[in-house]
Amino acid sequence: MSHFLDRLAFFRKNIDSFSGTHGVVTNEDRTWEEAYRSRWAHDKVVRSTHGVNCTGSCSWKIHVKGGIVTWETQQTDYPRTRPDLPNHEPRGCARGASYSWYLYSANRVKYPLVRRRLVELWRAERATKAPVEAWAAIVEDPAKARHYKKVRGLGGFVRAQWEEVEEIIAAANVYTAKTHGPDRIVGFSPIPAMSMVSYAAGSRYLSLIGGVNLSFYDWYCDLPPASPQTWGEQTDVPESADWYNSTFLLLWGSNVPQTRTPDAHFYTEVRYKGTKSVVICPDYSEAAKFADLWLHPKQGTDAALAMAMGHVILKEFHLAGRSEYFDAYCRKTTDMPMLVRLDRRGEAFVPGRLLRAADLDGAMGQANNPDWKTLAFEEADLSLALPNGSIGFRWGESGKWNIEEKDARDGHEVRLALTLAGREEAMASVAFPYFGGSAPATFHATDHAAMLHRNVPVRTVQTKDGPVQVATVFDLMVANYGIDRGFGGGNVAASLDDDIPYTPAWAEAVTGVSRHHIATVARQFAENADKTHGKSMVILGAGVNHWYHMDMIYRGIINMLMMCGCIGQSGGGWSHYVGQEKLRPQTGWLPLAFALDWNRPPRQMNSTSFFYAHSSQWRYEKMDTSALLSPLADAGALPASLIDCNVKAERMGWLPSAPQLEANPLGIAAKAEAAGQAVPAYVAAQLASGGLKLSAEDPDAAQNFPRNMFVWRSNLLGASGKGHEYFLKYLLGTDHGVLGKDMGHEGGTKPAEVAWHDEAPTGKLDLLVTLDFRMSTTCVYSDIVLPTATWYEKHDLNTSDMHPFIHPLSAAVDPAWESRSDWEIYKGIARTFSRIAEGHLGRERDVVLTPIMHDTAGELAQPYDVADWKQGDCAPVPGRTMANVTLVERDYPATYARFTSLGPLLGKLGNGGKGIGWNTEHEVALLGGLNGTNAEGRPRIETDIDAAEVILSLAPETNGEVAVKAWAALGKQTGRDHTHLARAREDDKIRFRDLQAQPRKIISSPTWSGLESEHVSYNAGYTNVHELIPWRTLTGRQQFYQDHAWMRAFGEALAVYRPPIDTHTLAGVRGLADERPSMALNFLTPHQKWGIHSTYSDNLLMLTLNRGGPVVWISEIDAKSIGLVDNDWIEVFNANGSLTARAVVSQRIPSGMCMMYHAQEKIVNVPGSEITGLRGGIHNSVTRVCPKPTHMIGGYAQLSYGFNYYGTVGSNRDEFVVVRKMLEVDWKEAPHREAETVK
Amino acid sequence: MQTFRILSALLSYPEPDLLAALPALRAAMDEEALLPHPAAVELGGFIDELARLDMLDAQERYVALFDRNRSLSLHIYEHVHGESRERGQAMVRLAELYRLHGLHISARELPDYLPLFLEFLSILPERAARSLLADAVHVMAALREKLARRGSPYAAVLRAVETLAARPAAAHMVAETVAALGADADTLAALDRQWEDEAVRFVAAGGPDGAADAAACGGA
Repeated sequence: MSHFLDRLAFFRKNIDSFSGTHGVVTNEDRTWEEAYRSRWAHDKVVRSTHGVNCTGSCSWKIHVKGGIVTWETQQTDYPRTRPDLPNHEPRGCARGASYSWYLYSANRVKYPLVRRRLVELWRAERATKAPVEAWAAIVEDPAKARHYKKVRGLGGFVRAQWEEVEEIIAAANVYTAKTHGPDRIVGFSPIPAMSMVSYAAGSRYLSLIGGVNLSFYDWYCDLPPASPQTWGEQTDVPESADWYNSTFLLLWGSNVPQTRTPDAHFYTEVRYKGTKSVVICPDYSEAAKFADLWLHPKQGTDAALAMAMGHVILKEFHLAGRSEYFDAYCRKTTDMPMLVRLDRRGEAFVPGRLLRAADLDGAMGQANNPDWKTLAFEEADLSLALPNGSIGFRWGESGKWNIEEKDARDGHEVRLALTLAGREEAMASVAFPYFGGSAPATFHATDHAAMLHRNVPVRTVQTKDGPVQVATVFDLMVANYGIDRGFGGGNVAASLDDDIPYTPAWAEAVTGVSRHHIATVARQFAENADKTHGKSMVILGAGVNHWYHMDMIYRGIINMLMMCGCIGQSGGGWSHYVGQEKLRPQTGWLPLAFALDWNRPPRQMNSTSFFYAHSSQWRYEKMDTSALLSPLADAGALPASLIDCNVKAERMGWLPSAPQLEANPLGIAAKAEAAGQAVPAYVAAQLASGGLKLSAEDPDAAQNFPRNMFVWRSNLLGASGKGHEYFLKYLLGTDHGVLGKDMGHEGGTKPAEVAWHDEAPTGKLDLLVTLDFRMSTTCVYSDIVLPTATWYEKHDLNTSDMHPFIHPLSAAVDPAWESRSDWEIYKGIARTFSRIAEGHLGRERDVVLTPIMHDTAGELAQPYDVADWKQGDCAPVPGRTMANVTLVERDYPATYARFTSLGPLLGKLGNGGKGIGWNTEHEVALLGGLNGTNAEGRPRIETDIDAAEVILSLAPETNGEVAVKAWAALGKQTGRDHTHLARAREDDKIRFRDLQAQPRKIISSPTWSGLESEHVSYNAGYTNVHELIPWRTLTGRQQFYQDHAWMRAFGEALAVYRPPIDTHTLAGVRGLADERPSMALNFLTPHQKWGIHSTYSDNLLMLTLNRGGPVVWISEIDAKSIGLVDNDWIEVFNANGSLTARAVVSQRIPSGMCMMYHAQEKIVNVPGSEITGLRGGIHNSVTRVCPKPTHMIGGYAQLSYGFNYYGTVGSNRDEFVVVRKMLEVDWKEAPHREAETVK
Repeated sequence: MQTFRILSALLSYPEPDLLAALPALRAAMDEEALLPHPAAVELGGFIDELARLDMLDAQERYVALFDRNRSLSLHIYEHVHGESRERGQAMVRLAELYRLHGLHISARELPDYLPLFLEFLSILPERAARSLLADAVHVMAALREKLARRGSPYAAVLRAVETLAARPAAAHMVAETVAALGADADTLAALDRQWEDEAVRFVAAGGPDGAADAAACGGA
């Protein structure tokens, strides 16, 4: 219509004006606005979040209309914290804002799905048989089992009723527990903090039936072993708001704007206060743009950089130009003054173990744990002192486990000597290992000997075995850093420009970073810390933790922080951010999650060792310990093979086992009874005689397979499963892309402890069940897929490391289609299991093995040399020289009743965590009132909200009364009053509905080492430094020195530089070369911008922002040399397998490496591989786990096992791949045909 | 009208009760004779084929086609609004329409699920039903085309649905719908086209003189 005709010629529309002539009232028809108004009108707005393990833990408003989620927007109502601190909000990012897409997307799992071939077999058997017998008939017939296993991953699902799939799962579980043992039923679910009730649903079910929960933090390689080694703590870090308190931020491999999006504002804001920022990252990352100085070392050489910075700091702030602050801090809170025995090795010495009270005649008067009390010299007269706080004081006595500067014998004040320089009785030539003399591939090797002798001042101590030379940790450390102190001897640098490990000049050659930049950054970092008393901070990305020798990188960096007094100081410290590890109400959650209210201990397993063994990755191992050991080690002391080391660790009670024994653990108690022995004694005797064997010794024997596996809240096969193709081949028994040959074919040295089968079994798992809301890569390979509620369809709890709030996930709408919350799903399985178990399993006695655990008195098990009972070094004694053996009573038909009520053990045994225990009868009674009680008078846990209330009521972080009790309990051990830290909130009880109203600040608790108060931001180690609570280590202090025999054997007693390892994965694929240009590149897998792990990487909204499928980043130089242009399809392969992706050719990437963002789904736009003929793999198709023996150590103070706390980690960055352009792109769209029919 | 309800049933997951009812469905369809001749014959063929199938084969086929393929989703708005935020709002409106007719969704399904929508149409007067269906007929046509390309017998069901609409689908809308949700890109070039970024032009191709054209762009 013409504008002319629109206009009124004789009338005017407005009938009045107001505010002068600024406003006009009209009587136009405005009904058209309705559409816009109703668009913003909602029936309700509900608070929820995204349980995606991104650490953002952002609270969101979910808008609901007509029972349908229309969209989400960010919440902006976080409580304000402290004056001067910017608000936390708004938190959120583009990924979270796209989540509601999943609810109604075509990729949603809407119905229970079951593999058609399986259900066909099931229905046929079930027609004539009871459930357990029907399952037996299928899995005991190799042809039938093979029939459904071999098509895993190839489609072929049908919908099923809940009742039917519950019955299949329950029948499989009952059959497996009865036939093979409950420890053949395993479950994998990560990161409870992102949705703790959902995690607890599955882990509670598994723990009740005796199944095994698999760890994740170590498997993800996000666990920095350096943290438990140094502090006896899994990981504890400052919240992101504390960045704002810092005045020098070193971002080391962390890409804050990209991977910590909702927190990045604290980083950008604090720069306006004048805080300096240095970014260390090999590629030009998004964070690099924020740097005052960007350093880009060759990838994987970060330890060299850190060692050189440590060299500068020690030299300029601890020796010349002393910092009073650093001196006092290190003397009080670190092991620098502790005494180390020197062991004679020929003409020279090597650093041995820490001197203990028990080494002396009379044991310094200590009757309790003298083996575990470390010694130092008093500075005044160099007399031997017994400082408070070592781990021997933690157990068996009370009041002296603190780090007051006192001598524990009589409580007199002591100032400990840091150095013997000038007061030495002799200069000893001490040998230090050096590993930088050889390096694989493109890494730089330097021209220095493998053993470097340096002079160290020593004194003699008369021990009960005679005179022993001792040195302080400080003096050994300075020598290790290669600093010339005028003691004579070689291998020390007088100048920073000397080419001696570990000077900046030396590091320049290794890392490519200018020596001047290294020295400048180190100096400024230290100078800032000196002036501000510790406000220098390192924000670390887990990328640098994913190298095989990650603990050397991390310890190098942590050393800088400890030398500069930054740990435990507001605005300073070690900010290692990885997954959403911090489950703040942990001690409230543990009983719910592991059914500790019904039986203890639960079965838990470290995943890296588990998958290494059971997906047969060990059969392809090319590494042996001779390539890893220190040149100073006694070569025969350790097994050559890595899996042998792991078996030994399991045997000595260091690491857990799953399955545990070749025999069914439900049958052992009866045999012990028949033999007239107590169960622990019987198991020990049978292990010694060979009557019982550890499953670990023969993982390829059918009796040792894991049989049933649950995966929930996880995409194990599409994201974290290192050695993806091995999983497919060995665990699943389906098509796979493994290109290498195992050691049987290659003729490698086979392990001595583990039985070798020439023909390895495939398809070990009888049943793989996955719970998910989206059809992930893992779902595609599963036998049964159960549809879960999304994050807007269930009630749950969420916390993070990055902020101090706890807040909920809420059911904005009911679960769509047939989906159910994880809580309801496992409840349903428990109900069916209880019914089907009748007649097969009743009240059973289960023999459970648990390793020697950290934070229990048992951690004082093996104080000196490694003793293996199988080699006759000692007798097998449960809990001392081997695993603990516990008899657990289970009531299988009562599984459902137990699942849904709070059991009696909390009242009987109390609650606690991290070595602190308290009575919790009051909270049990409270829960009875809150949730109601069942017929037996037990508090109910029927719904997900009931479960949340259990967590909130039992945890000190959410129940002030418990917090005060917990601090009081810790005070008994330390002899100090800490209750003032929680008194102010004693009456504060946070309930689920409170959280739905607004996120709440947690209450300070001794479970954690930081405080959340009106005065300070959460900062790790704060209560250690300010409340004088010891670190949970051997010395009770932060440890530069690791004195365990294996740490010394591998040359890692002190931090050193170790180059990446050679994984030998290219030799096996040389034969695949053709005329096409190709090149070998180091393969890195950092976190992406358009997804969180694999979530959102199948979300079309996010895919649209990038290339719409998997990509690999490559440098311009390397691309040119093999004829690649941007967006070309490439194949990336090595002996482990092959993947296909687009090339992103970018200046961002340095030559010699390529980068594939972690966890891009295999189910979206992935063409076939030219090499395997199968669909291209995921990033983990070219990786394989290679465990490190030092991570297997156990039974030794802070080096004792804890679930997700210590253990082997799944490193993956040392890997190399061949990259070449693809000729053909085949989408593999044809229907599956059996090989037989094709012929 | 029974025919709408029959088509609704045929597009639902093939449960035993559906398979058992197939002869009755066929009879009712013939009796009502709402479908034009070729479509009716084709649909009869489909029913016969379904009746002959093993139930698990039929179910596996259904899951593989409709549950596992976004481009064949039976949720109408997947093809209309795709991943856009408009979709939630559109579903709210559709549910409101059902409520105005006194119907509440009792199944755990979304309002835009095609079998559910067809059932709704089955209780409307014929003209209203045909007219409402016409609003979405391009989606039916696009689905039919994609199914036909795969050689799926389900194409016959969608063809039958199409013929009931008051108006035939506009060819360009069908083409757009087919293209929008993945013409299943089975070649490298096709996939490239789908994901190719549009080049940003700051001045029109013809140089500064073409600036007027450029001002109108944002696209093309």
